[in-house]
Amino acid sequence: MASILRQFAKTLIAPTARNAVALNAVRFKSTEPAEVKETRPTVRKADIAARAQLKDFGKYCADCLPKYIQKVQITAGDELELLIAPEGILPVLQFLKDHHNAQFSNLVDIAGVDVPCRTNRFEIVYNILSLRFNSRIRVKTYTDELTPIDSCNDVYKAANWYEREIWDMYGVFFANHPDLRRILTDYGFEGHPFRKDFPLSGYVEVRYDDERKRVVCEPLELAQEFRKFELEAPWEQFPNFRGANPASEEVDIKKTQK
Amino acid sequence: MAGVLKATTGLTGLAVAKTPHHTLGVLYGKILRTLQKMPEDAAYRKHTQDLIQERANILQANLNVEAVEKQINCGQIEEVIVQAENELILARKMLNWKPWESLVKEAPPNQWTWPPAQPSK
Repeated sequence: MASILRQFAKTLIAPTARNAVALNAVRFKSTEPAEVKETRPTVRKADIAARAQLKDFGKYCADCLPKYIQKVQITAGDELELLIAPEGILPVLQFLKDHHNAQFSNLVDIAGVDVPCRTNRFEIVYNILSLRFNSRIRVKTYTDELTPIDSCNDVYKAANWYEREIWDMYGVFFANHPDLRRILTDYGFEGHPFRKDFPLSGYVEVRYDDERKRVVCEPLELAQEFRKFELEAPWEQFPNFRGANPASEEVDIKKTQK
Repeated sequence: MAGVLKATTGLTGLAVAKTPHHTLGVLYGKILRTLQKMPEDAAYRKHTQDLIQERANILQANLNVEAVEKQINCGQIEEVIVQAENELILARKMLNWKPWESLVKEAPPNQWTWPPAQPSK
């Protein structure tokens, strides 16, 4: 009997306790500023000051080069990206390299992205670094299979091999490049392996032939018929991330343009 | 020259400037003259002009090289000279590029969306 009573008491107390917690939470929220402070030790803290500085610099760039910069955004919390028209690749990079307030004198990397469903399927990404101001910036532009893009070899000498790499992997043509050859693939290789429509197994296979006593290169023969696998699951994969933060935050540059 | 010439800048390939005031004065004059050819309301012209003018004023106000370096606060005077040379090259190229004009081309729709928009089935 006593135990039953105790259970009753629990069920009676529980909701009120929950209410009290909720009330506390509300009071907590009302006293705190809009930005919630991150307390979990394993989650990176957002640096508001650095972020504001990056935003300002993005606006400054868009203000100086309104002809070329289409969009300015901040990704991953504290990475500034300038999204530019392909015509402006040389002016923008030269500005970032030589302007007093930028001085991004190091080209860290040039990367490519292939998204076949877009009209301009290739994105070219320039990562550059300013040793003077200890900051990094990313410049992105786009092209398709046929449109050549200006080589920035005159601005950054480091671009020489990076652009050859992009040419090799994606087949993006760089105009005015001094020496545009393959760099990573083998002699006589055909195709561009980082394209999404390049088969995972490649087109040819290389093996040692016992009769001819040498390595031969033959068209690929698959033992099994090619099958199309249905990879889409009927259930939602990551329900916890349904309302996650967007991947990037756009910096408003419209006001400065007018 | 007020300050004693230092032996080295400590940076590979960057020699000690013998007459930094003269060199910088000439460079800043050239940059400002190049900027004059740009339209009045170009943001690049405004920002750069302010910046160069400020540095030129500091340069004129101090005869001591160390004081100039300290006030400009952008490295040694030799590095400041290199920066000015770069800016001059940039300003001259900007005259051809005319980056103050309106946007040359809007991005195609969905070009910058991420994750990429799926093609309609």
